[in-house]
Amino acid sequence: MSNPKSLLEDKPGKKVLMLGNEAIARGVLEAGIGVVTTYPGTPASEIGDTVSAIASDAGVYMEYSVNEIVALEVAGGAANCGVRALTAMKHVGLNVAADALITLAYVGVRGGMVVVTADDPECYSSQNEQDSRLYASLSNLPCLEPSNPQEAKDMTIYAAEISEKLELPVLFRTTTRVSHTRAPVVLGKLSKPNLKGEFIRDAKRLVMVPANSRPRHDVLLQKVERAKETSETSPYNNIARRGKDKECGVISSSSAYNYAVEALDLLGLDFDVLKLGMTHPLPEKMIGRFLMEHDKVIVIEELEPYLELHIKAIAKDLGLKTEIYGKTGHQYFPRSGELSPRKVLEGLSKVTGKKLPISFKSLDKKYTEAVRDLPPRPPILCAGCPHRASFYIIRKVAGGKALYPTDIGCYALGFAPPLNVGDILICMGAGLGTAQGISKTTGAPTIAIIGDSTFFHAGVPRLLNAVYNKHRIVVAVLDNFTTAMTGHQPHPGTGVTGMHTTTERIAIEKVAKGCGVKLVKVVNPFNFKEAEKALKEALAFPETSLVVFRAPCALLLSREKRRRGVEIIPFRVNEKCTNCLACIRLLGCPAITLTEAKTVAINENLCVGCGLCAYVCPYKAIEQSKSPERKDQ
Amino acid sequence: MKIFNLVLAGVGGQGILLAAEILGTAAVKEGFDVRVSEVHGMAQRGGAVVSMVRIGEKVFSSLILEGEADVVLGFEPIETLRNVRYASEKTVIMVGDERIPPPALTLKGESYPKIDVILEKLKFFSKRIVPVEASKLAYKAGSPLVQNAVMLGALAATERAPVKKESLMEALKELVPKKYLNINVKAFELGYQYVKNLDLNF
Repeated sequence: MSNPKSLLEDKPGKKVLMLGNEAIARGVLEAGIGVVTTYPGTPASEIGDTVSAIASDAGVYMEYSVNEIVALEVAGGAANCGVRALTAMKHVGLNVAADALITLAYVGVRGGMVVVTADDPECYSSQNEQDSRLYASLSNLPCLEPSNPQEAKDMTIYAAEISEKLELPVLFRTTTRVSHTRAPVVLGKLSKPNLKGEFIRDAKRLVMVPANSRPRHDVLLQKVERAKETSETSPYNNIARRGKDKECGVISSSSAYNYAVEALDLLGLDFDVLKLGMTHPLPEKMIGRFLMEHDKVIVIEELEPYLELHIKAIAKDLGLKTEIYGKTGHQYFPRSGELSPRKVLEGLSKVTGKKLPISFKSLDKKYTEAVRDLPPRPPILCAGCPHRASFYIIRKVAGGKALYPTDIGCYALGFAPPLNVGDILICMGAGLGTAQGISKTTGAPTIAIIGDSTFFHAGVPRLLNAVYNKHRIVVAVLDNFTTAMTGHQPHPGTGVTGMHTTTERIAIEKVAKGCGVKLVKVVNPFNFKEAEKALKEALAFPETSLVVFRAPCALLLSREKRRRGVEIIPFRVNEKCTNCLACIRLLGCPAITLTEAKTVAINENLCVGCGLCAYVCPYKAIEQSKSPERKDQ
Repeated sequence: MKIFNLVLAGVGGQGILLAAEILGTAAVKEGFDVRVSEVHGMAQRGGAVVSMVRIGEKVFSSLILEGEADVVLGFEPIETLRNVRYASEKTVIMVGDERIPPPALTLKGESYPKIDVILEKLKFFSKRIVPVEASKLAYKAGSPLVQNAVMLGALAATERAPVKKESLMEALKELVPKKYLNINVKAFELGYQYVKNLDLNF
């Protein structure tokens, strides 16, 4: 799928290679969903991005909401007017949205509402690897778990349907290996989205004051009972494989199911496999029958023993002696990290005593030997990233005694050497919050680092708290005009919407002044002297102060220059270089490298000509490779 | 039919995800089942990138078991070595020539490891190693950015993947930006000819 517009093709039966997240976007069109909201976050981002690219053509309303709870509320409002809605977020985004989610379960919906949460086992791009299925237990909402892109599309439609039938939002849990796997998807028929809703006043149902909430809790529990019947008859809960060996059976869901079936084949095991696509509420009767039919049941799932504990409870209720193998007690499968074909193979081999087809022990030995001196390659700030300049200035001005609570975004990478700006990182906005407790108790100069999109998402209430309680912190907003880490989505500071229309930009400095911050500065981090001066003033200010370091994302700037045909002039090292390595030690820019002779060189393919290295070089040994025709920045 | 397992490894910006998508699209064109795994987000920014492509009549897992890769398509020598655990003595390991020093290494004041040392270590796993002059050929085709097309051409020449050269070319034409189509096609052909001329006997 080269072009998102190809999702608009109404060609049922056509097979297209699609990313799991693109398949969910196609599901939106086939389900007739009218409202889609999101806050971007890996591995969920492409759901919103794909819908955004086709929304106006498809007649769907799409927005990048300011954060996940707002996204969920906008979708919930629409669904309560009878319009089908989908909201998409990453797993930790669901924590932000949880307050609304859990009470929305009491209220319910009239139009189908799908709440996509994309989990990130292995923390490829996240601060934790929580298992969002536990939110299904907490909220009593139905939960679906697709195992591949085809199911991701089909189950989006199914989710909207059962949501409408049960009058409950449906949690739709994917993982990286579902969201970010490409596979053939057979298209279904497009449905015309309905955007016209009607609000029916019904305070007992919709106004959750205590007197109304209490009975709605019971209504919710009745709905869960009905949802159990749906789960028993769901086409996504079934015995996907019938084996000849009836002693043992396997229960699995999501990507774990894929690893399980291939591992069984590799080990030559012919077991029944119960595949669960609807994992809340569980089909208790179906699981009970499966337990009765087998002496041993192996539960294979990623992250928490969610299915396992429920299955053990079902076995207990039925008084069954079936042995259940999983993660609790003997840990046949790991509870942390991403599951893999190997981990499943090893677990199955341990339970069954079957010999492994590969000697992983000798493979590991050989591999450890081969990669012993191999340097790691973690993600880093791009060459020319304005945050690198900001971090350099912050560290230069405030030094090693200052403390630097930081936040979620590209700029989280500033914690790494040589920039060393980032002392505590928890969740969206927490840099600004923790800074206040840290400053209060240590008295140390405290600079809270936060990005532009994160500022709008979660910074504002924390900023108000700092101002009102007179916390002496400096808030450094690293503004690069975009939500960069997740793929350059718009936010309220950009002036563009998810529908690709323009709107008025909201200026961070105006928000800060509105919140009562008395010292607010806006600087370009590449105007080094001016930026240093502003930060010094902010540090000297006895109350909350805020400095916006503003320069566009280097990736967007280079792209824009190429589009406009503006030449990018890289820097080069001249003969004055003494090889003191200050540029490398201070900046860690990926465009600055060492040659085989260990002399400094600049990779002209990577350098975007920001000039930071020329500024820090004590010998003026770095210069532009030719005079610019026009001045950028 | 046995599932064909391919690991693509390199650095963000080398066009690995697009190469994987081209392979996947070619597989769909020929009626195969296919899984392409990707990692997005943080790992894109100059970080290590791995993608896996599995092609067969019926494929479940999007990840490959260690030791089970048919081909490791390495876009960068260090990253090829980092993913060598997917290789066995039967695996063909193709290694591109663009060396991208990890900043952590530069920061320690060290230069890029000698290429022979990396190739020696790859041989712990397989002797079937094919160095590919991908950046040189990409430059010849017209842009350092089309190494991915060179590597795809090189893969096609080994005839290990169960997709025809024509299907790969067709998928490439669908997926690369029109503006860069000609240099991509040229890069693909250069990679293909390069490996054909090596006259590999495995």
